[in-house]
Amino acid sequence: MAMMKWVLFTPELYYVLMALVFFCLSLRIKSEPRKLYGYAIVMSALGLVVTLIFACQEGMLFFDAYRVDLFSQVFKVLLAAGTFLVIFCCSELKGIDERQHAEFYFLVAICTLGMMMLVSSVELLTIYVSIELSSYSLYLMVPMRRNTEMFAETGVKYFMIGVTASAFMLFGISYIFGVTHTTYIVEMMKVMPGVIKEPAAIIGIILALSGFFFKQALFPFHMWAPDVYQGSANQVTAYIATASKMAAAALVIRFVGFTGGGSPVFVNVLVALSVLSMSFGNLVAIIQKDLKRLLAYSSIAHAGYMMVGILSMSSRGYSTAIYYAIAYLVMNFAVFMVIMKIADDGHNLQIKELAGLHKRSPLLALTLMLGLFGLAGIPPTVGFTGKFLVFAAALEKGYLTLVVIGMINATISLYYYLIVIKAAYLLEPVRPYPAIRLDGWTKAMSIGLMILMVYLGLFPDQFVALTEAAARSLP
Amino acid sequence: MISMEMAHFPILTTILMSTIVCLLVIMFIPDDRPKLVKQVSLFFSAVGLVLCLWLYHAYDVQKGGLQFVERILWVKSLGIYWFMAVDGINLPMLLLTAVVLFTGVLTMWDLELRVKEFFALMFLLVAGVYGVFLSMDLFWIFVWYDVSLFPMYPLIAIWGGTRKEYGAMKLTLYLLAGSALILPGILYLWVQGGAHTFDIFELQRIGFSPLVQKVAFVMLYLGFGILAAVWPFHTWSPVGHVAAPTAVSMIHAGVLMKLGAYGILRLAMTLCPEGLAYWSDFVALLATVGIVYGAFVGLAQTDLKYVIGYSSVSHMGMVGLGLSTMTVNGINGAVFQMFAHGVMTALFFSSVGYIYDRTHTKMIPDLGGLSNTMPIASAFFIVAAFAGIGVPCMASFWAELMVFVSAVKTFPVRGIFAVLGLVVSALFMLRVVQKTFYGERNERWAHIPDVTLFMATPRIILVGIIIFFGFFPRIILDVIQSAVVPFVAGL
Repeated sequence: MAMMKWVLFTPELYYVLMALVFFCLSLRIKSEPRKLYGYAIVMSALGLVVTLIFACQEGMLFFDAYRVDLFSQVFKVLLAAGTFLVIFCCSELKGIDERQHAEFYFLVAICTLGMMMLVSSVELLTIYVSIELSSYSLYLMVPMRRNTEMFAETGVKYFMIGVTASAFMLFGISYIFGVTHTTYIVEMMKVMPGVIKEPAAIIGIILALSGFFFKQALFPFHMWAPDVYQGSANQVTAYIATASKMAAAALVIRFVGFTGGGSPVFVNVLVALSVLSMSFGNLVAIIQKDLKRLLAYSSIAHAGYMMVGILSMSSRGYSTAIYYAIAYLVMNFAVFMVIMKIADDGHNLQIKELAGLHKRSPLLALTLMLGLFGLAGIPPTVGFTGKFLVFAAALEKGYLTLVVIGMINATISLYYYLIVIKAAYLLEPVRPYPAIRLDGWTKAMSIGLMILMVYLGLFPDQFVALTEAAARSLP
Repeated sequence: MISMEMAHFPILTTILMSTIVCLLVIMFIPDDRPKLVKQVSLFFSAVGLVLCLWLYHAYDVQKGGLQFVERILWVKSLGIYWFMAVDGINLPMLLLTAVVLFTGVLTMWDLELRVKEFFALMFLLVAGVYGVFLSMDLFWIFVWYDVSLFPMYPLIAIWGGTRKEYGAMKLTLYLLAGSALILPGILYLWVQGGAHTFDIFELQRIGFSPLVQKVAFVMLYLGFGILAAVWPFHTWSPVGHVAAPTAVSMIHAGVLMKLGAYGILRLAMTLCPEGLAYWSDFVALLATVGIVYGAFVGLAQTDLKYVIGYSSVSHMGMVGLGLSTMTVNGINGAVFQMFAHGVMTALFFSSVGYIYDRTHTKMIPDLGGLSNTMPIASAFFIVAAFAGIGVPCMASFWAELMVFVSAVKTFPVRGIFAVLGLVVSALFMLRVVQKTFYGERNERWAHIPDVTLFMATPRIILVGIIIFFGFFPRIILDVIQSAVVPFVAGL
């Protein structure tokens, strides 16, 4: 029986192992980037396989503080996939000093471990420990960039805002504990309907949520996002923008899920945050010149869209938010992959540098276009289907105005995505850039991502069924 | 009717797929074979045309209703169906799309810049158009609607002319803003219908309360109205038409704008008849203002494409006016006008495209006396202008006649204003014809050869259609009527 229980924990244990391997490798004086990359990609691919194999497990661990269900396993697969994809793009890890490559992979493994634990935790202190485990590895990864002097502010800013958010969260957790006398989410759900109208409970929940909102970069916890996106190495940014967002989304869904819709104040706060996040992110993104900064603001907007699904507080709302998270992972990664391949020396890509991309590499240009159209919510890409589902869930609960605002925001966002697409397809470069050589793997990955984006957009049936099953498995 | 699911060869899906397959084939053709790209495009557009003609022929007018139904459950938990069918309303639109695509490909035979991408995007655009006309499921209608919009941006911004980037961005944002109203409207109806089906006809059977209909009608009407260039949301249309390359203008003004009117008819009016009854005064008012406004602004233009752009605003106003009457004749006329205007505008842009490609100007004062140097090319434009005025024996004559007769009956004052608007538009058309093609022979253009037979083919086809349906309007009216009569009876 005891063995059986550990099976549930296999994916996490695997990432502990991966972290250990890279820890040992990081002790060596001589560094061989190619070899390290080889190890990393094999191990992360294996990690994805292992997570997939154990995707159908169910059970409780660690005195019921740790819940393995379809919901958590879906997100673990997403996390493993995100990690694999990011490491896949590390073949030219020029943004980070060669001596630190082993540490980088080590931290990625640890962070993935932390986030995997996060999506399974159903006890407040376990949640806190996991979120800190993942956050601290990110705090270390962000300042790893070469030319740290230029971006020194980034690491400090991220750390300061991060720990402040943690402090808020702890404070909120203490309120929740004071009101419900328990730290177990399952226990809380029984008590919650009786106390949800009390100000202390609402304040506690909102403060506790702010820790996850920070990771998700929801307005007004977004201040770090533009600087960190811009200041980190491209691969680290990609990791924060994809995998880290998944974990945060999972936690917000779980957390909002257990409060239920009992408190209009709480719902109104979420509506307001969602509207502000969408509008602010999209409006500020319009004036950006740096592509990563633009994506940071677009990520703030996307956190708002996802919130539209979550605040419906229905099973359909949660399932569509999960679908949106999957969609966001795929589209966002497609865009980041293009960035990492174009800026293979690790510099920050400006929008105008994309000029002539359709000649330098038609495949990357097409991937970029599909990814951006996806982010803008244009069919037949997965981004559209995600938005459609999320808005359908919100309208089912009667949020007509919110959906109209969301759609208007989607139109605004199209403007700046079109500017990027225009740069890639229309503008002539100021000086001739060389053609971009892609290896076979990258080509295959580009084509695979494009097919996936369209496939998920046009044939969502099975995936919707999967996310619905995952939402049902929430406690 | 609906139980007849996929019992036959899925011809409608085949029509749609002909464009998507063409798109994929084009993408795999090497860059240095532009000729092959054009041949492949022509072949697949011909396939679509033949299939649509066959469909038109095979449609049983006596039986009416939905035919060639294909219906598969697509997303179970939301009730989305892959539901395609034809009836008397979308059949003429399909034919129009196929004709305009075919002639559009021929018109662009001289294209040299980024040929492969151009035709790939054009087929993507048309895939969206076919999709909207064929689908009977709200989800798919919206998906294809958006698919038909976004290729417009690169098509105009890369291959366009005057102020192309501005025109492309304005057009895309306007139209997408329209879809920002359509999507909530669709979802609102879905929720009110019990949140289990996106099938239009099932929703129609469920029926909605008057309040829901009023709200949803406004959202859908304004959303689709932007694409149909309803005044005052028309400003993207002349700018976009002027900026777009010839074939794109043809498809855009000829077919894409019809999507807007079609959306109003198929979605807003079918699902919210009481909403229309409530708002019909408003709809008729906007339509009349559009007719008169388009005509007067057209009078002041000096750019040939702007003239056509504003005449489109005016003509699309007639479609709106016809729809708002809610009578058999009015809707018959509106659908016929959609078809007739589509062919006519395609001819307009096609002839202007030829002139512009040779003279590199489309300013009326710079041209002048063209009928001396290129009589055939001029003839095409003049035919289109006559069709626009509504000269008898042209398809538009019948359409406009039906719309005006029913409009004057239903809304006397607005109807009379609309007829006056037509007189003004006749005035500006004749003025353009006179200044561009007659008068002093301009020696600057004397060296330009007249249009060759091959290049004239697409225009000849379009002229043929205009005159054919001018003499035999029953051939198309019978089909339209088979859908409109039960539709009006059910209002």
